[in-house]
Amino acid sequence: MERLMPRIMLDFKDVVSGYGEKDILQGFNATICQGEFVGLIGPNGTGKSTLLKCLSGLLPVKSGVITLEEKDNTSYTQRERAQMIAVVPQSFDIDYDFTVEDIVLMGRNPYLSYRTKESQNDYTIVTEAMRATKTLQFRKRLYNNLSGGEKQRVIIARAIAQEPDIILLDEPTSALDIHHQIEVMELIRNLNLKKSMTVVAVLHDINLAARYCNRLILMKDGRVVVDGTPKDVITEANLKKVYEMKMFIQENKLFGKPEIIPLRVIKESEDYRSLRIHVICGSNKASQVLEELEAMGHQVTAGVVNQGSDDWTICDVLGIPMIEESPFTAISSEKQAENLAVMAESDVILISDLPFGHGNIANLIGLEKLTGEIYFHRNCLNNDFTEGQLKKRLAAIKKQKKVNEIDDHQEFIEIIKALTLIEEKSIDSN
Amino acid sequence: MKNSVKKYSIIISIAICIIIIYVCTLLGVASISFWDANKILLDQLFHIDLGMENISAGAVAIIWNVRLPRIILAFITGGVLAICGAAYQGIFKNPMADPYILGVSSGAALGATIGIVMNFSSSLFGMNGTAILAFVGSFASILVVYNISRVGRKVPVATLLLSGIAIGQTISAIMYLLMIFNQEEMTQIMFWIMGSLNGKGWGQVLTVLPYVLVGGVIMLTSVRELDIMLLGEETATQLGVDTERLKKKILITSSLLTAAVVSVTGIIGFVGLVVPHIVRLVTGPKHRVLIPFSLLFGGAFLILCDTLARTVAGQEIPVGIITAAFGGPFFVYLLRKRKQGGA
Repeated sequence: MERLMPRIMLDFKDVVSGYGEKDILQGFNATICQGEFVGLIGPNGTGKSTLLKCLSGLLPVKSGVITLEEKDNTSYTQRERAQMIAVVPQSFDIDYDFTVEDIVLMGRNPYLSYRTKESQNDYTIVTEAMRATKTLQFRKRLYNNLSGGEKQRVIIARAIAQEPDIILLDEPTSALDIHHQIEVMELIRNLNLKKSMTVVAVLHDINLAARYCNRLILMKDGRVVVDGTPKDVITEANLKKVYEMKMFIQENKLFGKPEIIPLRVIKESEDYRSLRIHVICGSNKASQVLEELEAMGHQVTAGVVNQGSDDWTICDVLGIPMIEESPFTAISSEKQAENLAVMAESDVILISDLPFGHGNIANLIGLEKLTGEIYFHRNCLNNDFTEGQLKKRLAAIKKQKKVNEIDDHQEFIEIIKALTLIEEKSIDSN
Repeated sequence: MKNSVKKYSIIISIAICIIIIYVCTLLGVASISFWDANKILLDQLFHIDLGMENISAGAVAIIWNVRLPRIILAFITGGVLAICGAAYQGIFKNPMADPYILGVSSGAALGATIGIVMNFSSSLFGMNGTAILAFVGSFASILVVYNISRVGRKVPVATLLLSGIAIGQTISAIMYLLMIFNQEEMTQIMFWIMGSLNGKGWGQVLTVLPYVLVGGVIMLTSVRELDIMLLGEETATQLGVDTERLKKKILITSSLLTAAVVSVTGIIGFVGLVVPHIVRLVTGPKHRVLIPFSLLFGGAFLILCDTLARTVAGQEIPVGIITAAFGGPFFVYLLRKRKQGGA
């Protein structure tokens, strides 16, 4: 039974550390077992890199204990620690002309004393590490002449040559293009799977972290906010709390992992007068217009939308009040009345690009009596499945009210912008 | 293949150094014929007598007691300055580092000035009073610099370099003050500062030799860690190097070596700065190769400079002037090359 228990590699207990007087880590707690692939995520300055520095012996711990393989981390010499922990930094430049092989061979240093020269065994390990990272073919080339992705692979080869139990990565992909990002992450996952190496990686790219790590630790202000599987950690509530911005999260169908789409941070609301704008939507084309209107600071409402539709999802994320109907259900008369009541309060009503059918034509009932201005997307007429009802409704509205017709949503945004832009106060007037 | 090339190149370099020592022993102001000089060398080195009867005792003394020890001292001095420069450039990760960067030279100069001013002439272990004071001065200045920069167990490199400059300037100020008040010794002090191998014999060679042997071996045991240090202190730590211990080891070794040499020869500039750079261009940055070749090349370079110093003009020129004359322009070349490289 005992063998089934995963071996505890790292244990952090109330770790406090930082630079000078300032504490960056403020009581970090976590336990990491052998073979885990842990991603540390969180905003800048929350202590992710500080944690790695404490672990690798660069920074002393002010209080609390880090236990590394059953012993206090401070009880190891630098040499002993380097036999257990290898570090792959963000990117790595040197001013001197070392060859790739020289750099990888340096990974053997923790095993060599000043009296011994590198043995045949060391060279075998180094060759193996270069083969695993596909750097063997340029082992005689100068490190400085390699591309960013190649350099990163060499540094990983050096880490492998250290034969560590734990590999620490500090934003290993942030300087790389997308091809090399994936390459590096796959390389590390292979080490994790094949050699059951424990991996702790600081990652800024949450999608990359969710995809490769089997456990994420979300940090803020030097503490753990949530610790769990990517599905547990990557939620709108968690991320909003930590990053102070709205994120749109969907499941990546290909990998079965959560995927985030960060929305905007800088709101334009200060530049515009706020209007009450109601958007008739419910399909999949209004997401962008909803988001832009919301960002401009308007009081946006939507309806009637079927739950689960794309427009519904974006309203849900952005917190836009909406009149909802059950999935694949025709609009009931109560919902129609509710929607009309909301529209009666609106300054502007947008009939967005939306296919109309018998189920949702009720959205347009009673619009002729509203005081708000009406905008209509012409493309609706191309997706008319109402056997003439849409045209009839439109004609009825037009009889009593002006309907502004638009050809795309961007045109509508421009009109609203022109309508609500607050003129900058003239500096000369004073 | 590559290893054998390396082995051959070190053997060839040693051979070239021996040839330089030999040729320079034959050159000099005193007119001793080529054959006579060879006879003296063979007699003294291997006790092979090819007819010493018509060679004057003066000629023997010039070859054996003046030129040869002076040349060997030049070799040792040049070699020591070069390996200390190489090691300092390694641990400071700074291409401008030289053996004097931490105030060794200023300390030695102040010590020597005091010795000259006080006419300190007693001698100890083959060193005269001036040399002893210079040694004490240089080592004391290093200790002050080291302790000023120390923060707990750590010695940050930037602080070390800055306090080296600060202490060096302060010590120099005291030295100049002493010179102003003792103007009759000014010339003597100036000559000491410019560095010279004039009048050095076997005594001085034997004084510095133990330091060089022990220091050289210590340097050679640190070559791998010095290489790793070039990747930066943090990375070195993560690769298992006790960087503080290494720094201390190199600081103590280099300052002892430099102090020993400087106290005997005065301040010979530029060798320790320029030679490692030239050697690095050929051998690459690995200290296992860099240190031995710096020793050989630095030694040979100083022998040649010193031979020029004693033969080129009617009067002896301080060798520091010659090394600076070569070193200065090369330094400018290095700076320009760095600028072009965008580094």
